[in-house]
Amino acid sequence: MARHDKDSARPLIPISRREFLNRSSSALAGSMVIALILPEGSSAGIAGADYDWDRHRWVYLIDTTKCIGCGSCVRACRAENSVPEDMYRTWVERYEIPAEGEAFIDSPDGAEHGFDPVATGLSVRKGFFVPKLCNHCDATPCIQVCPVGASFATRDGVVLVDPEHCIGCGYCVQACPYGSRFINPTTHTADKCTLCYHRITTGRKTACVEICPVGARRLGDRKNPDDEVIEILATQRVEVLQPELLTRPQAFYLGLDMEVR
Amino acid sequence: MNPESPLIHAKHVFRAAILLLAVLIAMLLGRSLFVPETWGEFGPYRGAAVAEHRDKPIRHGGNDSCAMCHDAEYAEHAGGEHASVQCESCHGPVAFHVDLEEGEVVAEMPVHRSRELCELCHLRLEARPADFPQVDVREHVLSNGGEFTPDACFECHDPHSPI
Repeated sequence: MARHDKDSARPLIPISRREFLNRSSSALAGSMVIALILPEGSSAGIAGADYDWDRHRWVYLIDTTKCIGCGSCVRACRAENSVPEDMYRTWVERYEIPAEGEAFIDSPDGAEHGFDPVATGLSVRKGFFVPKLCNHCDATPCIQVCPVGASFATRDGVVLVDPEHCIGCGYCVQACPYGSRFINPTTHTADKCTLCYHRITTGRKTACVEICPVGARRLGDRKNPDDEVIEILATQRVEVLQPELLTRPQAFYLGLDMEVR
Repeated sequence: MNPESPLIHAKHVFRAAILLLAVLIAMLLGRSLFVPETWGEFGPYRGAAVAEHRDKPIRHGGNDSCAMCHDAEYAEHAGGEHASVQCESCHGPVAFHVDLEEGEVVAEMPVHRSRELCELCHLRLEARPADFPQVDVREHVLSNGGEFTPDACFECHDPHSPI
């Protein structure tokens, strides 16, 4: 308890308060000078490109009442984006819910080969499929936790990973509450749905939207006044996954059930 | 007492200034070495990464790209029950069949003549929407006098325009 001994009490910092304030204000001024040297963010669009990302704001809409669980989207995503085997940027979950008791939920191989009938032994009253993918959240936990700035959101609302800069630490994989990220076993960097950024910025739909035979998946653009998806968001009852986490997902669902997380 | 030069007392200030300058130069040097060129162009990330994502190859071309060569199949398909099903949904992406840069055929397009292809959508499942056409394939084939073979579906149904 020497610290409380009155005789040995000495000031922790051997300078006066006035001196301390003087010194720290000049140090602050110095660091501000350094901050001025650092480059500032530009306000231009993607340099040299025929696409203005300030004129788009992408959203995604999934109608679970239409999905037939064929898995075309999962196969198309893998082919379009060279997704490594056993890894999924999008997948489809099956829900079979009895009147009472636990629900049966599965997603064999992410639905890449469709679904087989299962003997759940339940008297199923309610069954449906739920396609999932990155929600491209407005307030993403995954970007926040990246220690090196390899995860970022584009100005048109797509959450992307810079594989050149990623160190593969996996923090973002853990941070995503939707399980949308994985470490690519080939590149050892974080990998995720890019919302087919190479397609949507060249006037195409994402591969999964394009391939869906029943129109269960749709791409919308908030900055397009005539967009049908935005009209649905404005006039119908839509839901997002885990809204309590306040991640502000930009993938919206029609016909979601409370069993779905 | 000799009057001392006022600079003697300022010595420690110069030392600190030189040290600070050295730190600043080291920082700027380190920064130029380790920070990527386009860092901060659009935000706290490597700006070039956006264009790199944009430049990835497109592999699914949509039905219109198939129509460029296969107009008969395209027309038959567009007028049938499977009009909402994309060619590439069953056949796979066009880029595996045609080099999209050169416009040359590089490989045969896969044709899946198997029951399993149809079952992906039409096998009866409890989770499927009740109004979507689905069958217990085995029972359906046998009750229609067919044989339950791997390509049983194609005995009666043309996948481009099924009934």
